[in-house]
Amino acid sequence: MSLRNFILGLSASFGIAWLAMVVVPFIKMRNLEPIHLTEAVDGATGIFFPKRTGRIANGAEVYAQNGCYLCHTQLVRPTYAGNDLYRPDWGGLKSDGDRGDTRRETNAYDFYGEKYAQIGVVRMGPDLSNLGRRVESIYAVGKNPNDWLYAHLYNPRMSPERWKSTCPSFRFLFTEQKIKGSRSLDALPFGGGEDFELVPDSDAKALVSYLMSLKKDQPVPVALNFSPVKKVK
Amino acid sequence: MSSATPTTPEQDALLRAGIDRSLRHPVMFFLTSGAAWLAVSIVLGIMASAKVHSPEFMSGCSLLTYGRVFPAHINALIYGWGFQAAFAVIIWLMARLSRKECTAAGIILAAGHVWNLGVAMGVVGILTGFSTGMPWMEFPAFAWPVLLISYFAIVIWSFIQFRVQPEGHVYISQWYILAAMIWFPWIFITANTLLHCLPGHPLMASGINAWYKSALMFLFFTPVALGSAYYLAPKVTGRPVYSYSLAKLGFWSLAIIAPWAGMQKLTGAPIPYFMPYLGAAATVLLFIPAIASAINILRTMMSSPETLAASPALRFTAAGIGGLALLGFSGVLLNLPDSTLPLTQFSLSGYGFEILALYGFFSFVMFGAVYFIVPRVTRREWLSRRLIKIHFLFSVYGIIAIVLFAILGGFEQGIGQEDWKQPWQSAADRAFPYAVGTTLAWCVILFANVFFFIHLALMWLRLGRRSSHPTLLAIHHSTVSPHGEEGDIDNAGPGSMPAH
Repeated sequence: MSLRNFILGLSASFGIAWLAMVVVPFIKMRNLEPIHLTEAVDGATGIFFPKRTGRIANGAEVYAQNGCYLCHTQLVRPTYAGNDLYRPDWGGLKSDGDRGDTRRETNAYDFYGEKYAQIGVVRMGPDLSNLGRRVESIYAVGKNPNDWLYAHLYNPRMSPERWKSTCPSFRFLFTEQKIKGSRSLDALPFGGGEDFELVPDSDAKALVSYLMSLKKDQPVPVALNFSPVKKVK
Repeated sequence: MSSATPTTPEQDALLRAGIDRSLRHPVMFFLTSGAAWLAVSIVLGIMASAKVHSPEFMSGCSLLTYGRVFPAHINALIYGWGFQAAFAVIIWLMARLSRKECTAAGIILAAGHVWNLGVAMGVVGILTGFSTGMPWMEFPAFAWPVLLISYFAIVIWSFIQFRVQPEGHVYISQWYILAAMIWFPWIFITANTLLHCLPGHPLMASGINAWYKSALMFLFFTPVALGSAYYLAPKVTGRPVYSYSLAKLGFWSLAIIAPWAGMQKLTGAPIPYFMPYLGAAATVLLFIPAIASAINILRTMMSSPETLAASPALRFTAAGIGGLALLGFSGVLLNLPDSTLPLTQFSLSGYGFEILALYGFFSFVMFGAVYFIVPRVTRREWLSRRLIKIHFLFSVYGIIAIVLFAILGGFEQGIGQEDWKQPWQSAADRAFPYAVGTTLAWCVILFANVFFFIHLALMWLRLGRRSSHPTLLAIHHSTVSPHGEEGDIDNAGPGSMPAH
């Protein structure tokens, strides 16, 4: 076999897969077709637009730089691929106050505002797709959810029921500073002392803002909703 | 001119000695700096693995948080050790097989330093918090053009050597090495431009990253290791390759199947449905090239059992090829949609599979090549059979333990993850003992490699034995020195050395 034929063979065997698995899907997915809402089924008209607020781009950077994706996923798989949807607070909430069961699988609009979808590598910790909603409705009921996340990042094993957590502590995202006048609004409730307080750095603030943007509570159009019809309470 | 086809054994030996001499500095540079990165990577690996079960271990400082130490560990292993070992093997094998002396040793050496600088900056970048957050591509974005340019400056000469070689037989090793040399830049440029330079859908970026990881394993590290094994097995035993058609089947099935693999990591994600399933199917089908090549190489080695028992190069290569067979088998076991894939998609098994590919298969074959190449380029023999034996035994124990703990532990963990009626903590509890086991296994691998590092450093300092007798592993009961009778002081003289 000549070198020319050899390289042609390699190019063909690799190139077909390269086009089919990488290049064409990449180009096709760059601009997803907008989803039109219809009054009859969606109760609204116009085009579906994913809602997400917070310092998403900054926070995603902190998330990536500190390797959160190594232990946490952001993917609620459909039931054919795993049991994630059955967990009561991963894909939504099993019993949301007003809307009943809001659980749904991850869709292509959930990563709005990010450059890279942090699907994740290993689930050493729980999935974070719905973390913002979970903190608000379950972990920090009646409290400020940001404060709960700051305390959790500072020491994931502080709360007695989480003594077994293997999440690293992110103490380096906090600074101890002298209190000037009154305490800062976002100072941690512990640490410091009479004259000193523990406050989150800019990175910690961005990260918490990003984590709070991970919610699955926006109703999705029927075209994206593959769940069976659920009873509305 | 050395390019003239040698006719007598003396001329042939002179040509080989000339090739070895021309490549001595680049090859030894890649091997020693690669080994240094291997040491860094193993130490970081132990730290990262310990943090999985003991999160307060060395947790005071941002540099050493798990999310930075782990990517530093895996990237140092891939770009520091893996690539540099591959470079040494590529340039040496291609020169030997094309029968051409290397005329660009200085440029290769300079490019090798640039590569090392790129890796060092990348690892420091990860540790100081500039990681990109894309698995196996965590080096800050400035690193990839540096690595790519130095890659071309290192391997282009081997490509030229192949082009200008005298007409004649093209060996299967050359096929593999040439293919790896072409596939790698294609994969690397694709992944890096699409992820760093062109805006795309975030999920597709994640899919391309999964494809990149798989392609790097199966279209760069695998062909380089197979090229080395297909060279050493017939060379050391002195017998022809068992089956030429099996070798062709192994090569073309790898070339056709491997580019489709990888995206099964995104099963259930909202990307086109065919992609994860094709990825899973391709990873399962990689069993075919793995088994075809493993049988072919092992049968070639078995044709001379006494050489297999005595030669350190063959013993390591054989173990690595055993690792390849195991890798093919695990690919089937871990990636069956609707049965095992939901359990392993997000469990420790993925790490076990990657370490099996990078250490259990690739690194073992590279160690085999190191034990063969270094005496030839330094013209000194390995100092001690015992150091080689310890390196071999503890490496084998260590990799078997990692594979058992991570792959089987990953199944246990996956069962816990899928058991949605139990609280999440039960999945973490199931993984805990296996994480402890993985840390211990990395310690064993570090122990094994300490002996390798010492031995290689002594060889690099030209403190090897000056003898014409190779260091073999078999013990001959005789009254003379265990290395055989002392021969002439300097080895590798014309025609003095049989292959070992």
